[in-house]
Amino acid sequence: MLLDAGFRLCKIDSMSTVDEPLERLEFLQGTLEILILRSLRAAPNHAYGVSQLLEQQSDNQFVVDNGSLYPALQRLLQREWIAAQWKTSPNGRRARYYRLTPLGRKQLAHATSRWYRFVEAMGRILAEEA
Amino acid sequence: MREWWSKLRRAPWRRTLDEELAEEMRAHADLMADDNLARGLPAEEARVAARRSFGNMTAVQERAREAWGFPRFEPLLQDLRYGLRAVRQAPGFALVIILTLGLGIGVNTAIFSVVYSVLLRPLPYPSGERLMMLGEDAGKATGISVTWINYQHWRAENHTFEDMAALIAGADLTMTGRGEAVLTHGALVTSNYFHLIGAQPIEGRLLTADDERPGAPPAVLLTYDFWVKRLGSDPRAVGSSLALNGKAYTVAGVLRPESSPFLSGRDYYLPLRPTEALNRSAHGSMHGLGLLKKGVTAAQARADLDRIMKRLALSDPGPESDHRASAEFLIERITGHIRPTLLVLMGAVGMVLLLACANVASLLLVRGASRSREMAIRSAIGAGRMRLARQLFTENLILAAIGGVCGIALAAWCLRVLVLTGPKELPRLAEVRLDLPVLLFAAGAAVFVGLLAGLAPVFAAARADLSASLKEGSQGAGTGPRSQTFRNSLVAAEVAITLVLSFASGLLIRSLITAQTAYPGFDSSGLLALELQLPSARYKSGAGILGYYGQLQRDLQGIPGVEGVAAVCGPPSMGYCGDYWYSILDRPAPSRENVPVTRLNIADIGYFRVMHMRLLAGREFSGDDRAGALPVTVINEELARKWWPSPRQAIGHLLKMGGPYAEGPTLQIVGVVGNFSLNGLDGEHDPEFYFAFQQRASQAMVVMVRTAGDPAALIPAVRRHVAMLDANVPIQSLRPFESWLSASLERRRFTTLLLAVFAGLAMVLAVVGIYGVLNYWISVRHREIAIRMAIGAPRAAILGWGAAHALRLVAAGMVVGALAGWGASRWLKNLVFGVSEHNPLIMFAAAATVLGMAAIAAGFPLWRATRVDVVRNLHDA
Repeated sequence: MLLDAGFRLCKIDSMSTVDEPLERLEFLQGTLEILILRSLRAAPNHAYGVSQLLEQQSDNQFVVDNGSLYPALQRLLQREWIAAQWKTSPNGRRARYYRLTPLGRKQLAHATSRWYRFVEAMGRILAEEA
Repeated sequence: MREWWSKLRRAPWRRTLDEELAEEMRAHADLMADDNLARGLPAEEARVAARRSFGNMTAVQERAREAWGFPRFEPLLQDLRYGLRAVRQAPGFALVIILTLGLGIGVNTAIFSVVYSVLLRPLPYPSGERLMMLGEDAGKATGISVTWINYQHWRAENHTFEDMAALIAGADLTMTGRGEAVLTHGALVTSNYFHLIGAQPIEGRLLTADDERPGAPPAVLLTYDFWVKRLGSDPRAVGSSLALNGKAYTVAGVLRPESSPFLSGRDYYLPLRPTEALNRSAHGSMHGLGLLKKGVTAAQARADLDRIMKRLALSDPGPESDHRASAEFLIERITGHIRPTLLVLMGAVGMVLLLACANVASLLLVRGASRSREMAIRSAIGAGRMRLARQLFTENLILAAIGGVCGIALAAWCLRVLVLTGPKELPRLAEVRLDLPVLLFAAGAAVFVGLLAGLAPVFAAARADLSASLKEGSQGAGTGPRSQTFRNSLVAAEVAITLVLSFASGLLIRSLITAQTAYPGFDSSGLLALELQLPSARYKSGAGILGYYGQLQRDLQGIPGVEGVAAVCGPPSMGYCGDYWYSILDRPAPSRENVPVTRLNIADIGYFRVMHMRLLAGREFSGDDRAGALPVTVINEELARKWWPSPRQAIGHLLKMGGPYAEGPTLQIVGVVGNFSLNGLDGEHDPEFYFAFQQRASQAMVVMVRTAGDPAALIPAVRRHVAMLDANVPIQSLRPFESWLSASLERRRFTTLLLAVFAGLAMVLAVVGIYGVLNYWISVRHREIAIRMAIGAPRAAILGWGAAHALRLVAAGMVVGALAGWGASRWLKNLVFGVSEHNPLIMFAAAATVLGMAAIAAGFPLWRATRVDVVRNLHDA
């Protein structure tokens, strides 16, 4: 009896500490780029900062994988929607800061309105089904 | 667009881009570490945790870099670089693979280039693929000559041909007035013939329709070779006069040199003029050459011409009202008989390629096993599974490409040997070369091999178990039961293929021996063959011809060492006098389409004796069988057996030449001689009958001279006597008869040799393959063997254990190979001679050979198994 309880405890314990990435949301194709643009709207930030911001603001629903983040940043740089610059962070580290370009700002507005239309349309259909 | 532009702009700074990325990621990790510190972790732990949660830096960097590159090509270049490095790292391994592939691809490319040139390459005439040879079919006789009147109707009334020409391929005339008299070979053609084959003059003009009009001045168009060799490239040849059979022809022009002339060996062309043909059954030796309209099939063309023939049968009935048109594509006509042989060779060589593939696959598997740790490390540091597979494929393709280049070099060399040693009668052999389609084939074969052989290790690598491979001392991938089974089946397949090839080549070798040693029905040693053709202008009458040959016979008899002399129209394997319908008078008359056809020949008195042919019944021709006497014939055994149970019973019966429906003399059968083959030593026995030379004189005869010693020694004396008798009679050929006979086996020898070479190659490859697999099998079992020996297994038991394994593989292969060989040998039906293509003895011999080969291949690995060092192997464990 005791042994059984211990075993169960152990299992619950392990579930609570180990990351369960499958539980979290993955980014839809192309959405990571929009979120990066959004996270840079207020102020320039570095890659780590961007990933922290996205995770916090999504209540840890999103997990930002560096293997996706960095290529997305590079793509945005290529399209010249963001620009990069080396700066020193508040705690004295040199980091590469990204900021929105005017073109990026325009794209963000555009993408945001498209996204709302998309969500609205999806929602209508899904709600009807339910 | 913008992306492309930024990528291109940044391209030169790619290196700084990389450095920048690396630095950025380091900063990223540092920032994370700072946060961890702030959360109260110890410094070292904070750093490690940050690194871990960052993920695989190399993979991230690579993926970020890909955003800047042209991702389609970049990994390819990288794979190529890695691939070349891998090749350099294991040069011995690479060399074996490249040589194996080079061998396989080389022989395949060589044989394919022959197949392509002979069977597939379009004929070198404009629209050559639409050219058809036209003739008539009459019951069992197919493709006989077309009569002038029928041809005229075809030409005027058909709806399926763009154009139609007529030609008489052989017109041999004696040329005089330029040095000594020579017999020349011309052809008669209608003027549009040149248009159909695309011939152009280099000097003067072609023959035109004007030359065909009755009463037009006689014109001749020379071939380039004749102009160079006989006229010394005389620039004033055009317009000059040439005396042929005593008649003056004006040279109209000289043809451009032809690489592959439509009619080979011709000296000139003469206009084919309308003959004053009396009726629709006046046959000469004319054939039609038709250019089919686009999109029309051969069957449609035949039906179209038959429609004309049927209409003619109603409007102009005659003895040949049942004749139909025969139309055959030129390419079929030229290469149809060689097609089965070449396809068999192509099949054989394809099997050699499969063997090479199997060997390479098994080598790659072994290597894959020894590289499993490398692969595990690569995948641990972030290489995706697809990426690893792609890289292995790239490596294989690199090896295959190098092998392919070696193969092409080998093929080029093989081709020179093939063209030099190939049988002269193989059509279009001179056209064989390595050109674009052949190179494409070689490239295709290389890619095919690279992919096929590469599949095995890619599967093995894709299933590689990371942790197992990384553990020190594990055997790694490629030793699992599945890849072992795969390797075992490779061995079985190699044994099977080798057995099939050995069986096929055994059948052909046996056939060649049979053909070479078979009693041909006569004694060929000590015979000299003198081929003559009397100029028809000088020797018109039968009496003149008989007088010449009679005198020549007496003259040659006088040469010391000559035992006998007799003339014949077509000696065995040297020629062909024609074939014709016949019937036996006291038998029921056959229906029109069932009139039998037989070969006909002309023999002088004493011919059968001089040839040492067996007279089975009756008598030879004698001096009494002369013109005006009862026409007689000697038939061969084959013909006699068709009608009578024994040759003796044939004597006295009457044979009607031409059958019931065609003109022809009635001959009394006076003798039956043994069979021999007219088509060379390995030909079929055809029914044949002989006219008596005295009763049917012919200008073209072969004088057979039986000598006591070496026939070649008498050649000068014979030549002298011919010249003395009449200097205007040219000698067509004069050589020992045996050289003719052996030439008749040239193609068989060639095919047999090639197939034997392929079987030999297969054996070598299979030995290497079996050796490799068994050796590997033993080497991964060293520890097991050591344990067995340590607990008391004697060496003999180890040997038996290994041998049983080897034998199981070989036996499985033998069973499959024997079944496949047995089934496939029907493709060889046309090539075997004197043996059945299902000869169990040859299958047994082939199986024994393959077993012996397998024993040799297995010997060394098995011996090694008994020499395993027990102490060392157990200590290492």
